[in-house]
Order: sequence, then structure tokens, then C-alpha cells
Amino acid sequence: MSVTEQFSSVAGVQHQHHHRRGTFADHLFRPAAPPHAASTLAIFLRLKCCVAEAKEVGYGALYENSLITNEICENDHRLAHSLESLTVGVVGLKYRNRLVHPWGSAVGVGNCRVSSLITHGFEGAVLMSLFWIVLRQLADIEEAMATSRKVITKEEWEKKLNDVPIKKADMNKLVMNFLVTEGYVDAAEKFRQESGTEHIDLATITDRMAVKKAVQCGNVEDAIEKVNDLNPEILDTNPQLFFHLQQQRLIELIRNGKIEEALEFAQEELAPRGEENQSFLEELERTVALLAFEDVSNCPVGELLDISQRLKTASEVNAAILTSQSHEKDPKLPSLLKMLIWAQNQLDEKASYPRINDLSTAKLEDPAV
Amino acid sequence: MVTNQQDLIGRYFLEQAKLNASSRGDVDMEDDDAEALPTELNTINSSGGFVVVSTDKLSVQYTSVNLHGHDVGVIQANRPAPVKRLTYYFEMKVKNAGAKGQIAIGFTNESFKMRRQPGFSGIDWYNIGQYLVPFFDQYGTLRPIPGGTFDECFVVGQQNVEMEQLKQCFISELQELTSRWEQNSYGYHGDDGLLYRGQGKGEPFGPTFTTGDIVGGGINYASQEVFFTKNGVVVGTVYKDVKGPLFPTIAVHSQNEEVTVNFGKEPFLFDIKAYEAQERFKQQSMIEKISLPQNVSYGVVRSYLLHYGYEDTLNVFDMANNNSVPPITLPQENGFVEQDSTYALNQRKTLRQLIRSGQIDAAFGKLHEWYPQIVQDDQSPTCFLLHCQKFIELIRVGELENAVKYGRGELAKFLELEDYKELVKECVALLAYEEPSKSSVGHLLGDPQREVVADAVNAMVLSTNPNAKETQSCLHSQLEKLLRQLTACCLERRFLNGDQGEAFNLHRVLNSSKMGKH
Repeated sequence: MSVTEQFSSVAGVQHQHHHRRGTFADHLFRPAAPPHAASTLAIFLRLKCCVAEAKEVGYGALYENSLITNEICENDHRLAHSLESLTVGVVGLKYRNRLVHPWGSAVGVGNCRVSSLITHGFEGAVLMSLFWIVLRQLADIEEAMATSRKVITKEEWEKKLNDVPIKKADMNKLVMNFLVTEGYVDAAEKFRQESGTEHIDLATITDRMAVKKAVQCGNVEDAIEKVNDLNPEILDTNPQLFFHLQQQRLIELIRNGKIEEALEFAQEELAPRGEENQSFLEELERTVALLAFEDVSNCPVGELLDISQRLKTASEVNAAILTSQSHEKDPKLPSLLKMLIWAQNQLDEKASYPRINDLSTAKLEDPAV
Repeated sequence: MVTNQQDLIGRYFLEQAKLNASSRGDVDMEDDDAEALPTELNTINSSGGFVVVSTDKLSVQYTSVNLHGHDVGVIQANRPAPVKRLTYYFEMKVKNAGAKGQIAIGFTNESFKMRRQPGFSGIDWYNIGQYLVPFFDQYGTLRPIPGGTFDECFVVGQQNVEMEQLKQCFISELQELTSRWEQNSYGYHGDDGLLYRGQGKGEPFGPTFTTGDIVGGGINYASQEVFFTKNGVVVGTVYKDVKGPLFPTIAVHSQNEEVTVNFGKEPFLFDIKAYEAQERFKQQSMIEKISLPQNVSYGVVRSYLLHYGYEDTLNVFDMANNNSVPPITLPQENGFVEQDSTYALNQRKTLRQLIRSGQIDAAFGKLHEWYPQIVQDDQSPTCFLLHCQKFIELIRVGELENAVKYGRGELAKFLELEDYKELVKECVALLAYEEPSKSSVGHLLGDPQREVVADAVNAMVLSTNPNAKETQSCLHSQLEKLLRQLTACCLERRFLNGDQGEAFNLHRVLNSSKMGKH
């Protein structure tokens, strides 16, 4: 069996001795190969056939058989380019007639006995070059496959979900944590009765909620008093909070039309703070600007009068109190929900799996194919 | 149809009861702590003959006089770096930089040949012309070909342009290809401060280091990077694309070089804890930036209360939401689902109350009255759980005689059945102790056990709803589904990352004082 015949059998292709332009290529390339690693292996095998064939009839056939080159071009431009530069190099050289060496045993990917490919002289070098180039393509494909996404079916995923151990007690704790940090005093107490979940001393919550409510209703003076009753250090160690509370007081005075009082207050209490701190000064100026407008609801700083400003301040006070009591200022539940969104986004890069797109229904969507 | 579903639900809670018994501690905790750590240097596979290792296997001295590139004293640690954690780190103190200060620190994997410093491959690309041509042997390992040099392959007596081009093309292909295939190490070298990654040429990386310096090497599994430090400061990082276990490795090469390694027995100069905290914080802030749909947390809590039948809490919660400034409106769920959650809310609340307070007979009574189909089959998992609970309650109040009577009457029949006998045996075992709550089956007397029974009954009642579409909605609350999805995603991602990095553990997250244990 000639070398070419040997290889044709490996490639699973019938060998034909016609070298007319087109026929050989046609025959070699007609069997359809799937567009994955297998096809690069097929190309490799075809290449070897070509070279083996060319050895018998001359390397010129490689160069001349542009159909083969084009076919290879379709799959990989780099490969074609390398091949082209090689064939140019080869054709420019004289070559000696040599006995054809058998390739040696099986051509597996990564399993190749290159030694057997290295015959004496540059035929070996050419072949080795071809070999390396093709192998390179395989390495690229391997890498692409490694980064391709794994597909997980709904059944597989549901099994994984079922394997996750979740304790009822942990979920109760999470809910209680939410109720407490958000200030649902009565609900927290009821939940304790109905579920048996413990919570921190509710009295501290009541006080905290009173402060929050006072700010939300615009009674800032009252709120400040309460905060100091609770813990005088809070405002001492939190100048920004204190400034915002004072600012809110100013806003309320302006809202109630007490212009004289407002100006006095601004000059005595807030201006000194503004001098110490640039951002305070800017805020102060913004607030005082409210006084310049007749129709406050339409002015550029009108948002300060909005209820959302009160809520912002209230929330700031709430957080400061919680921190001072060494509690976390944020409930854990929203963080966990954000983590879920983040975790799904991270996993999307590596796998296709059933997602939960709507948090309020927690419905599993089928994986994108 | 209905009985099938009931059975499914019942069995699910039976499983939960078993889980309650077994997982006393945190589930994944042991898993993460079980990895072995490097503790000392590996004297068995090191490049012997050039170095002397101290008896405590933590110091190395180069005893020879180095003559060429291959008489390097390379040593790996005895075990590879553990992966199921956020970072791994170790340090090396340069006691003596010796004649040339050619010390290297880094990581190598199992296939690394202990002939060169970490970061070098087996091939010296600078001298490829003179070196032996590499090829893949039958095991796919890159080896030099015996008996033939590169130049010989190309020699024909013809030196011409095309040949040169061919040769260059070949060399670059070879370099690229093998750098990828051969990459199995990272090394930070003290004499030139370069980072070596498996090719002959190093890249500018950090400062040089010498006698008295303490250099450290670490892996950050979250960012998949290898980093190095000098005297407590990070000098650089590089992306880690070497797969597989990585061994901490050091190398010495010139006369009198001596280093000591620290695998954690002594405190590190570099504040690795602060580094880890920084990483976690980075990740946490990234997560915090994600925006949630409006009021979704309130919705989750509300549906939780609805699902498990905490009616009183729910009413107070709703009231507070309506009274708040501004009133909190919850996202409208799909109309049908909302309705179904309120199904039998009052009955479920009552049943839960009864079970939690140990009034099992009353619970049975109510069930017979309201939902006879649930207690119809006395051998269903639900009834079984209720009977067990009754037995447990009798023991709790010390009525041991009654307990025995009850056990004989109601529990004995379950001993025959495969799925049930385990729990029956455990319940009965309670009788054996003076202080059953302190025994190995003491958990049965605890709250979680009652909780399982209450949840089982709750789910069964939900299943009687003619509108209930699927079993799933009876078993899991929305919160539970979300938490499961979160855990599964984190675990899968870690798995696809070669099982590297910290695992997500809900129990740990909930019980830590600060969020950000991720």
C-alpha cells in the first residue's frame, strides 16, 4: 500500500489516483465534517494526505493545487497563510529525491511521534512545520472549547437545587433581621410569638423608630432631642449627620414660612459649620437659595422641600443609630437578593442554565439553548 | 393524583426531619477546612545534590558552586496550595543572598521538571538553534529529540531567504505553542526582579530582592491571580492560567544562598487578612451597586409570611406598610399566585400554633374537621410525623407511661416500614435517658423538630387548594427558592472554576456579624 493509500484509509476517504485539478481535492473534501475539533483533525489528516500525495508527485502539486489551499482557507485563514508561505518557500528550493518514509504509527492528537516525521532534510522540516501549525489550530480549538459554556438542563439544575440544604430557622432569622432593621416593631414581636425566632431588645427599636418618624414628619428638633437621649455620642461623632439634621430644620422653617427665624438659624448654627467644611457650605448655600424664590415649588433647589429629602435624612439617622448600637445598618435580605443577581450574571459567563429573572415570582426560566 | 402529591410532600418533610437530625453543625464548613496545607519542604523530589535542607525542613542552603543553568536547587512544598478558600499565601526570608542572589520564589505544578527555577520551562528559547529540537513523546510530554539539532533539520547546504523565513516561522509557532503547553510555573526572581512564566524571557515585574528581604507568593482565587510581595507590600500580580494544583516553590542557585520558608507557623509580614478583607470588600461593593426592583424585599417577606401562615405577623406588617410615610406598596405578583397564598391562612395559622405549643391531639382534631383527606391515611408520612411528635411531647412533659402506651398503640406499626423505622427508633430511644434533652437524640425535643412537623402540615393544607398548580409551590416559599438558586449558582460557578475559591454558605453568612463573607 502506498503511503497515500495508507492515509486515505485513516482519513476514511477513498483514494483516487487522479491528480487532475479538482478531482483529488473533490474527493478528499467531499465528506462533510462537523465544524468542531473533529474537522481540524480531518484537515490535518487531509493535509497529511496532500503532503503524502505531493511527495509522490512532487511538492509542486501542493502549490499548484490551489483548490486544496482554498478549501483550507475556508476553515482558517491563518492556516492558509502559513501554508502559502511554506509552499512558496518549498517550491523555491531544489529537493532531492528520497525514499518515502512511513509515518509511523497512529496519528492521535497530542500523541504524535514527531520523530518519525523528521526525515533527513527539509521535507521533514516542512512537514514538521505543517504539523505544528495544525496542532496549533487544535490547541486553539481546545481553548475555545474550554471557554465555551456548559449547558445544564432543567432537570439537572432542579436536582442541584434540591441538594441545597436550607434550614427553616435560618430563613426565620433572615426575616426577623429584616423586620428589626427596617423598624417593624410590632411585626417583629408578632413574628417572635408565631415563629419562636429571637430578636434583639425591641425597646431600642422603638426609640429608633420614634426618631425616624419625627424626622419623617418634619419635627427635627424633637428628633435631635431623642437621639441625644438615646446616645449623645451619635451626633458628636457624626458631624455630617448633625449638619444634615440642622439643614432639615432650616428647610422646615422655610417651608413653614418662618423666614426671619430661618435666617437667624442659618447664620448662627449653620454658617459656622459651613466655614469648616466646603461641602457643608455648598449645601448651606443651596438651602438658603430657597429663600430667594417666591414660588418655591418651581425653583431649581425645590427638591429640598420634597418629602424625599426628609426620608433621606431619616434614613441617615436610622443608620447612624443602628451603627452606634453595633448592629448592621442594612438588612441582610436585600444584599442576598443582589448577590443572587450577581451570582447569576457570573455564572452566565460559564454556563447556560435555568435562571430566575423575576425575583417576585422566583420562577425558573428554561435555559437558553 | 391528590394522594400522589400528598405523598410527595409528606416524604419531602420526612427527609427534612432526617436532615434536621444529621446536620447539627454547618454543612459545608468541614468541607472547606478539610484541605491539607503545605507545611514543610519536600525533600524527596527536590533537585538533590545542590542543596542542603534543614532538619525542620523549612530552610534551604545552596552548597554547591553553580556552573551552568541546570544546577539549580529547586524545592517544592510537601503539598499543593489548598484551593477552597479565598487566598493562599506563604513567605520566604532571604537569610543570605550568596554570591549572585539568584533566588526565586513562585508556584509550580506537578509536571514541572525540577531542574530550573520556577518560571522556566524545559526549553531555553534563546538558544534554540543550538538546542535539541523538542517534540511530543507518546505521553504528550514535550521532550528534546535525541540525536538531531534544529539546524540539522534545516541544513541542506542551502542558506537562503526562504529557508530563513521558514525557520523563523517555525520558531515562532513553536514558541507560542509550547509556551502554552509547557506553562506550568510562575517565578519571581530576586536577581533581576523579573517574573518568569514558562518562557525563557522574564517580564518586568517588581524590585529585586536580597539578604534580609522577606518575599511572599500568593494565589487569589477570586480574581484568579498569582501575586508576590516584598517586605509586606504587593509588588505585582499576574493572571493565573496554569490549571491544576500549584506547589509553593523556591529555588537557590549561587554559592551560599540560604533562605527560610514560612508556611504559616509564624505570623506573616504581609497582612494577608487585610488583603482578603479588601478582596471581599471589593466584591461586596460591586454587589451593593446592583439595583433591585422597587420594594422587592418587602414582597419577599410578605410572601414568606403568607406561605407559612404567619397570619398575625402579616396583618401587623401590612398595617405598618400602609401607615408608613410614604405607604409602601408591594409589587403586584401574578394575580393567581397571590390568591393562592392567602388560601386557608387562618386555618394554617391555627394548626401551626397548635403544633408549636405541643397540642398534637388538638391539631389532629382540627385536621379531621377541616381537611380529613390529609389524615385519612394513618400511615401517610404526615400522620407519621404527627404521631411521632405526640410521642415526643409526652416525653417532654414526663408522662413516660402514657408515652409508652402511645408508642405501642400508634408508633409500633411504623417499625415495619423502611422509611419510618429510623425515626421511630430515635423517638423510642428518648425513653432510655434520664435527661433526654442532653442525649444524642435530644434534638427531637428541640424547636426545629416541631417546626418540621408544622411546615409539613402547612404544605399539606396548601396542597388541598384546588388552584394549586404544582407541588413545588406548596413545598417552597419564594424566599427559599431564591436562596436555593443563589447557593446553587455560587456552587456551580466555583465548580466550573476548578472548585477554587470560597463556597457560599447561607448559614455562615446569616450568623456572621458582618455581611461580606463571600
